[in-house]
Amino acid sequence: MENPLELDLKLSESSSGQSSADNIEVTLAIPETTITTEVRPHWWDHIRLGKIGLFSASLYLFILAITLMKSGARGITLLIRNLGIISNGANSLGFGWLFAYLIMSGSPVAAAALTFFDASVFDKLGAFTMITGSRLGASFIVLFIGFIYVLRGRDRATSLSMGTLSLTVTATTYLPGLLLGVLILNTGLLKGIQLNSGALLISVIESIVEPIAGVAAGLFPNWVVFLIGLITILVSFNLFDKCLPQMSLKESRIGWLSRLVYRPVVMFTLGAMVTMISMSVSISLSLLVPLSQRGFVRRENVIPYIMGANITTFIDTLLAAVLLNNPDAFTVVLVEMVSITVVTLIILTAFYRPYLRLSLKFTSWVTKSNRNLAVFIITIFITPVILMLI
Amino acid sequence: MEVLSHLKILIAITGSKQSETILTFAAQIASHVGEPPTVLAVIDGWEDRLSTQASEILGKAQNILAVPKVITKVRTGHPTQEIIREAREGNHDLLIVGGMSDNQLACILLGSTEARVAEGAHCPVIIVKGITRSVRRILLCDSGARRSSVLSRFTAQLAGLLGGEEEVTVLHVMSQISAGPGVSGTQLRATINELIEKHTPEGEVLGRDIQALEELGIHSTPKVRHGLVLEEILSESRNGNYDLIVIGSHLSEKWQDFFLDDLAKRILVQSDRPVLVVK
Repeated sequence: MENPLELDLKLSESSSGQSSADNIEVTLAIPETTITTEVRPHWWDHIRLGKIGLFSASLYLFILAITLMKSGARGITLLIRNLGIISNGANSLGFGWLFAYLIMSGSPVAAAALTFFDASVFDKLGAFTMITGSRLGASFIVLFIGFIYVLRGRDRATSLSMGTLSLTVTATTYLPGLLLGVLILNTGLLKGIQLNSGALLISVIESIVEPIAGVAAGLFPNWVVFLIGLITILVSFNLFDKCLPQMSLKESRIGWLSRLVYRPVVMFTLGAMVTMISMSVSISLSLLVPLSQRGFVRRENVIPYIMGANITTFIDTLLAAVLLNNPDAFTVVLVEMVSITVVTLIILTAFYRPYLRLSLKFTSWVTKSNRNLAVFIITIFITPVILMLI
Repeated sequence: MEVLSHLKILIAITGSKQSETILTFAAQIASHVGEPPTVLAVIDGWEDRLSTQASEILGKAQNILAVPKVITKVRTGHPTQEIIREAREGNHDLLIVGGMSDNQLACILLGSTEARVAEGAHCPVIIVKGITRSVRRILLCDSGARRSSVLSRFTAQLAGLLGGEEEVTVLHVMSQISAGPGVSGTQLRATINELIEKHTPEGEVLGRDIQALEELGIHSTPKVRHGLVLEEILSESRNGNYDLIVIGSHLSEKWQDFFLDDLAKRILVQSDRPVLVVK
């Protein structure tokens, strides 16, 4: 390729025989056709109005959904009590777990748990265990998607590893976290920490969602209003997912980073941060695919990443508690976050290596044969059913 | 084995029970080096008992090393700092030290002397551990990182020490799993031959390593293991009954030191046999 810029320097001598800067003739030949002017985009060029619109819509629908569920839940208290399906903490744990399986998402179930609590369907313990159940059920999603791939002929181990690992890590941190959380709830240790929505915010929220929520409450029976709220929150999360940047393997230029083995605390923080933004463990796990080279991720890196994700996934539930303007609901979510954080930090600092080995050994056992997989699947379906029947 | 006239070896002993083992191991290298080796004794304090111990072991050094000339030195102070200082000031090319710490948990939490020496030294370091034998079977662990290939550093710095009779196994551990259900993972279960045939990044690295060693007249075998990096390296070293593990040092520069797990240190602490850390 020829140089587009031709610089012709002619150094002419002065009468005194000395050459100087004044005597330099510079001819700059610039072919017009070869010049490309790179215009730096302004900061506002990066703003995607469509994404902002989607985000605003998802936020509005989230607030509307909480209001609808809150309004509907009050009316179905009697129905749930009469049916007698939730009479203790184990029942609500199983209920949240199965509910999350049913709608393939944890966050709406956790929000529903808070509205049930707000409507006095069950007590703090019931709300706490139902939220825990919702997360256990939600971690099944990645496994379920993997299971579909297996049915379509893909390799069992490859398709199911991430899902099984996600479920294993969630179960092994949430179940000890459940015990610790119950202890903290009973002592009232975190009751003093509150994040109030404030009177102004409440009145603004009421003014923007109350017209629609009021119409729905006037037209339909309570259980239908609750159902509309549940569908609305699902739509809200769906819209929010669309706000997130989409990446493909080709676009990701940081794939080489996935070849390295990071300190557990680094991956823990990354998992927590990504999930805080995406508000979903399954979304933050699926983000690993385009971020990693060839879609592979180091075993050493993935477990602390899931652990971090499992904590900040409560952010939307915390927001729901604030919107409900119920201090006790806020405490329940805070206790959930604190207890899971404490259990996770204990594992990371004291038993990380054995925990890593055991989790991976268990995952490889599950994906080793169809028989093992069947035992695992039956266990994770039977357990919540048994909990419901206790 | 050719005589390496230029290689300057520093053998550091700290008065521990292992001193004779270190010297015995070092003897097989020192006998092939033109430069007289330097034996450094570091005494942590001024106690007569310690200095007597150091004098005794320094006196035995020449016999054990079986070389015509030995330079002996005594330094007083913190072992890690003094060993690193001497290696740097003496412009040594290879440092041989012993595994000085017995408590693995304390080593991981607080950092072992040998790990700190390996980290701080400017040159390659051999940490002599466990029962030492003549080096016949070598396990070379290559992470596959192009920019910091262990093999290229090893060949550039120390390949001359190999006589050609050694069996070198070049190991790469694939600890990856599929990040999502939809990712095809055939390469994750592939054998070493399949990885090389399909020109995967791991296969390319191992193929290049084998070729480089063959050019040096060293017989080598590529190997791939699947699992956690640390566990697989330690397991392979035990099962394969290797006499020396070769690893790269932790990349302690810029962001890497803060973000990356120090696997080199973990291998050093947990290995039950000698480890060579190339720089």
